[in-house]
Amino acid sequence: MATMVSSAPSQRSRMRRVLASPTTARVLFPFFVIALWYAIYFAIDSRIFPTPLRVAEFMWEEVTLTSGVRYSSVAENLYVQFAISIARLTLGFFVAMTLGTLIGLGMGVSKSVDAFFHDWVVAVLAMPALVWALFFAVAFGFGHLAPVLTVIFAGIPFVIINVREGVRNTPKELIDMAKAFEVPENRITRHVFLPSLMPFFFAAMRYAYSIGWKGLVIAEVFGSQVGMGWTIKFWYDAHRAHGVIGYAIFFILFALALEKLVFDPLARRAFKWRPSMNAYQLAEGDFSGVTQEGLLVQEDQIGTTMEVRGMEGGPQDG
Amino acid sequence: MADIKVQNLQKEFGVGEDRVVALENVNLAISGHVFVSIVGPSGCGKSTLLNILSGIETPSSGTVTITQDSHDAEPGYVFQAARLLPWRTVMDNLMFVQREKDAAARERCQRYLDMVQLGDKGDKYPGELSGGMQQRVGIARAFSIEPDVLFMDEPFSHLDAITARSLRRELHQMWVKTKKTVLFVTHDVGEAVELSNRILVFAKGGVLKDDLNVELPFPRDPSDDAVAVAKAQVLRKFEELDLVAS
Repeated sequence: MATMVSSAPSQRSRMRRVLASPTTARVLFPFFVIALWYAIYFAIDSRIFPTPLRVAEFMWEEVTLTSGVRYSSVAENLYVQFAISIARLTLGFFVAMTLGTLIGLGMGVSKSVDAFFHDWVVAVLAMPALVWALFFAVAFGFGHLAPVLTVIFAGIPFVIINVREGVRNTPKELIDMAKAFEVPENRITRHVFLPSLMPFFFAAMRYAYSIGWKGLVIAEVFGSQVGMGWTIKFWYDAHRAHGVIGYAIFFILFALALEKLVFDPLARRAFKWRPSMNAYQLAEGDFSGVTQEGLLVQEDQIGTTMEVRGMEGGPQDG
Repeated sequence: MADIKVQNLQKEFGVGEDRVVALENVNLAISGHVFVSIVGPSGCGKSTLLNILSGIETPSSGTVTITQDSHDAEPGYVFQAARLLPWRTVMDNLMFVQREKDAAARERCQRYLDMVQLGDKGDKYPGELSGGMQQRVGIARAFSIEPDVLFMDEPFSHLDAITARSLRRELHQMWVKTKKTVLFVTHDVGEAVELSNRILVFAKGGVLKDDLNVELPFPRDPSDDAVAVAKAQVLRKFEELDLVAS
């Protein structure tokens, strides 16, 4: 019987292992969603609720420009709508990143700058993107300005908070090291301070991008006559659910593509010194190696403990 | 080699009721190719003394004079944790502290990496090395600027006993070869006896209590009877001095 232990796994148990693997689970998920979708479709028997096939058909027509729908005189198809939204997002994103980084740096470095901006940042953070969208549409009309401002105001508090935390988490023990070796200030800034800020900066970028995207769509629904958000509303007004769902899926696909094709490679490049790190760990701004050392260094500071810690072979066994 | 003179050195942290005296009127002179250990309980100001000597901290009062062979040289410093830039390779970590970034500096860095037996690890990131290897890089970094004086703050206290022992042996050989003045903070009396010519004993409150000479021939094997006896003598001395009470 002992030889049986080392024999190859049976056909059945291999099958079970394949079925239980995470990859199988991941692949199964879309099928599950589509099955559920069909179940609901047949259960509610609605004339408006579309089948997945109808949505796919719609998306194909949009991509190949065969639907024949002209949205408006300005933006007649998917690509133009997307281009307008991306241009607005990009502009708002860069302004939010630049201003947010400057304010975050100021708040991290100086207590009075922090006090000056603090309540304002909390207030902006608490404001829903919808309110910005409505307010800017009323104030500036249905042009490009309102959506861009919404992107900026929705994203900037996250940039400020992340950059400020980054500055506060500057690895003091590495800077002390550099000072002990009399490394000049500008080299310390470039090689110690800025790299230590990078995880926080990347987290800020991801937030500004994803929150900005959501803010933009809301702003375009309520305060624009072109763009992705407006197109979703166009299909909503036309009572065509396949249009709403189709554009929502375009939106998700684009967001995922940008994440995989731009942010992930950028992060991999910037953090190649941490090979095991993936994008989601980075977003947490975790800096375990350095902070651990920080704790160790603090141990020997004055007046912390009264015990004679670690005196090897101390008086008791001397 | 270097001459170090410390006169009436005082260091306090905080004000009023929170005032803590870290160093109390310390006077000492160190000169030449010596290995000086600074021992004492936690909170006796050992690290503070090293930080003031190396210029990381400033004294509250008193003077520190360091006269070196080579004009205008920085001191080398080895910390308790390796303190490497995690986003730089091992070689770049050494180059980071070089004043000139020329071929000569690179060649020198390589030589010291070879000396700590990490000659082939130059293009690795610190995160890819073990704790002992990281500390070796820290030691190579301190030596690579060829300082006249080397400050070491409990450099082996976080390593396992076997790694620490082999690094101690390496350090001793490097000290013999390069003729540095070394100031070595430790709470490990055995380590102090094994490595140093001279042991400065500090008590709580930053008072320099005693200044011992260890006159045993090098290299010293910690399992050797003479070394064990010397260690016992130092420990007895500690008990007489009552370092914690003051």
